Amino acid sequence: MMLEASSLIVCPVIVPLTAGLLCFLSRRTAFFASLSACLANLVGVCLLLGRSLSGPASYHVGGWQAPLGITLRIDGPSLLMLLMTAVTGLGITLYARGYFSFRIFFPKRIARHERQERFFWPLWMLLLAALNALFLSADIFNWYVTLEMVSVSAAALAALSGKPASQIAAFRYLLVSLLGSLSYLLGVVFVYKVHGVLDLNMLRACAGGGEGMHLALALMSVGLMLKTALFPMHFWLPPAHANALAPVSAILSGLVVKGSFYILFRLWFDVFPTCVSPAALNLVGILGAGAILWGSVQAIRQQRLKLLVAYSTVSQLGYLFIAFPLAYLQNDGLWSAVIFMALAHSCAKSAMFMASGTIFLHFGHDRINDLAGTRKCLPVTAFAYAIAGVNLMGLPPSGGFIAKWLLLSSSLASSRWWWGIVVMVGSLLSSVYVFRVVSRLFVVPEDLPVRQCLPRSPLLEWPALVLALIALLLGLVAPYPLAVLDAGRISLMLSGGGGP
Amino acid sequence: MMMSKPGISGRRRFDPFLLLIFLLVLLLTLILARAVCTLPMGGEGLAGEVARFQQQSGVESPVTAVLLNFRGYDTLLEVMVLLLAVIGVWSLATASFVKNSFATSPVQISVVRLLAPLMCLVAAYLVRQGTHLAGGAFQGGAVLGAAGVLLLVTELPWLSVVPSLLLRIGLLLGPLCFLAVAILCMFSGRQLLQYPSGEAGWIVLLIESACAVSIGLTLASLFAGGRPGGDVSDD
Repeated sequence: MMLEASSLIVCPVIVPLTAGLLCFLSRRTAFFASLSACLANLVGVCLLLGRSLSGPASYHVGGWQAPLGITLRIDGPSLLMLLMTAVTGLGITLYARGYFSFRIFFPKRIARHERQERFFWPLWMLLLAALNALFLSADIFNWYVTLEMVSVSAAALAALSGKPASQIAAFRYLLVSLLGSLSYLLGVVFVYKVHGVLDLNMLRACAGGGEGMHLALALMSVGLMLKTALFPMHFWLPPAHANALAPVSAILSGLVVKGSFYILFRLWFDVFPTCVSPAALNLVGILGAGAILWGSVQAIRQQRLKLLVAYSTVSQLGYLFIAFPLAYLQNDGLWSAVIFMALAHSCAKSAMFMASGTIFLHFGHDRINDLAGTRKCLPVTAFAYAIAGVNLMGLPPSGGFIAKWLLLSSSLASSRWWWGIVVMVGSLLSSVYVFRVVSRLFVVPEDLPVRQCLPRSPLLEWPALVLALIALLLGLVAPYPLAVLDAGRISLMLSGGGGP
Repeated sequence: MMMSKPGISGRRRFDPFLLLIFLLVLLLTLILARAVCTLPMGGEGLAGEVARFQQQSGVESPVTAVLLNFRGYDTLLEVMVLLLAVIGVWSLATASFVKNSFATSPVQISVVRLLAPLMCLVAAYLVRQGTHLAGGAFQGGAVLGAAGVLLLVTELPWLSVVPSLLLRIGLLLGPLCFLAVAILCMFSGRQLLQYPSGEAGWIVLLIESACAVSIGLTLASLFAGGRPGGDVSDD
């Protein structure tokens, strides 16, 4: 009985999948199965990271070579996305444990909380497996299957809280998600009709394809943008993310939107770069700029903390898209800024949603105006929120700063300063909505009524802080992720000639 | 959101927003229709490849070969999607069993008693036939699911006391079996889901049988519309 060393690449899919099935079967072991799956996933990804610095690796599922079978592929961008998912996923798992224990501990509607916990674990583990499968896959149809898995589990998670508002939002989320998937599938059908293959490497080799390919790419992109909530297709995101349970909000905002974005990014920059026209890039950039401005303004106007954080997701996703026109012309590496931004945002936004969830649990509400003096009761959480906010504003040394700096300098270098202005205005607006909350959290007014502080749970507070610190320190270790991306870039250039 | 308020005059107000959406959809339809007509067809796709490796796949039906062997990974994930659908429905509601089974006509009960075992046989036959003709886990599972729906609409009293653990095991049978086979294949130096040469036939049949049971239960559970009464309760 021997396991091939190359089999390590399927570990991020197989391990959470097994854990998810076990979680559905038995309740008692659910948390420990999930925790060990997350740890194993993290270790596996780290091992992959160590091995793949030398170059990309491929894996043929079932032993069938490319045109017939499905290929899994690992290179710079996919490795970083896997790492992001593993780290954030571990934090969310720990936080969810604290969250559910806290709610079950207080004897109010215990049955409802137990039901939520019972179904949270299998859904979350299967979602984790689906996301990992998405990042690993190098097959255009397999992406559709993973997208389906992601949307079904994400919609079920969003509806878990059971409140009518969250159920309506989750149902709308499901419909939008399915519409996006179907649009993507239609595009895949066109691609298959034109080229007759589904493997990314082979598709990259057969460039061109004329009008049919343009339409196919447009269909796939619109579907994916709908799922990534690019302005003005973001309408479904704030209610769905804000009304879900706190760990679920962290999952949806931190990880799920990155999945569809990753496919879009791959399609435009890696597989079909020849089909993309400058007009399309500029259009996406303009929509991204709209998302930054509109999302920030809406976030500033919100009265509830979770809605504010949800709108800030809309705004931060805009940065990912504004990089499209900038990265395209500058082939040497601005797109690493995009991946970097996604990485930092994932950690910071999960931390922010966790902190908001903890605040909600303790006070029973999340009205921003009534949050004064939170730091007296929840110092760690308030600190975590502020640090995550630093990342969203893009102050050094956070990962958000590096990404915005790269965007800004490349927009000035290519003398397209208007994108740079949008980046700066967006940062200014985000500092407004971050400080609006942080000032209330930290300033303790003199006439504050003595609030009864509930007992604190370390699992509720520390995961958020650690994730926020990771996002903050990401800027200091920036050369390392960029080196990983370099390993990926080499693969991209090589594979332009038909695969390594 | 744009919602027209019914009931004031019984007639819907004219909404320019809806007209805009209608025009956009019409435009999209025209573009798609034109693209379908002018699309250069890239030959036969992968059908030639499938025929070339048919012998090694262990089954004679090309559809089954693609689903369970060449692209078995896709099917593994699809089976998980079906399971996710059930978990999602179970997390939302409890199935309600109306306690008026006395109202069911005796004719219906005897017909169902006759049909249900027969449909199970048909399902098994379809799964078996999947190895060389049209058929397989999804078709067999659909027939099983239909049998389940028949039982549910007849409101047989024993349905409401089926232990939920048994249902969970049944729902997991297919996914677990598929996943276990996939992982076991990796030992002794093969890839994920790479069946040992010459053994593919019965392994595919095993996976299909287990999946058919789970798919049938999935469809019936979706029809029941919630988790069984003995499962987690809600307030």
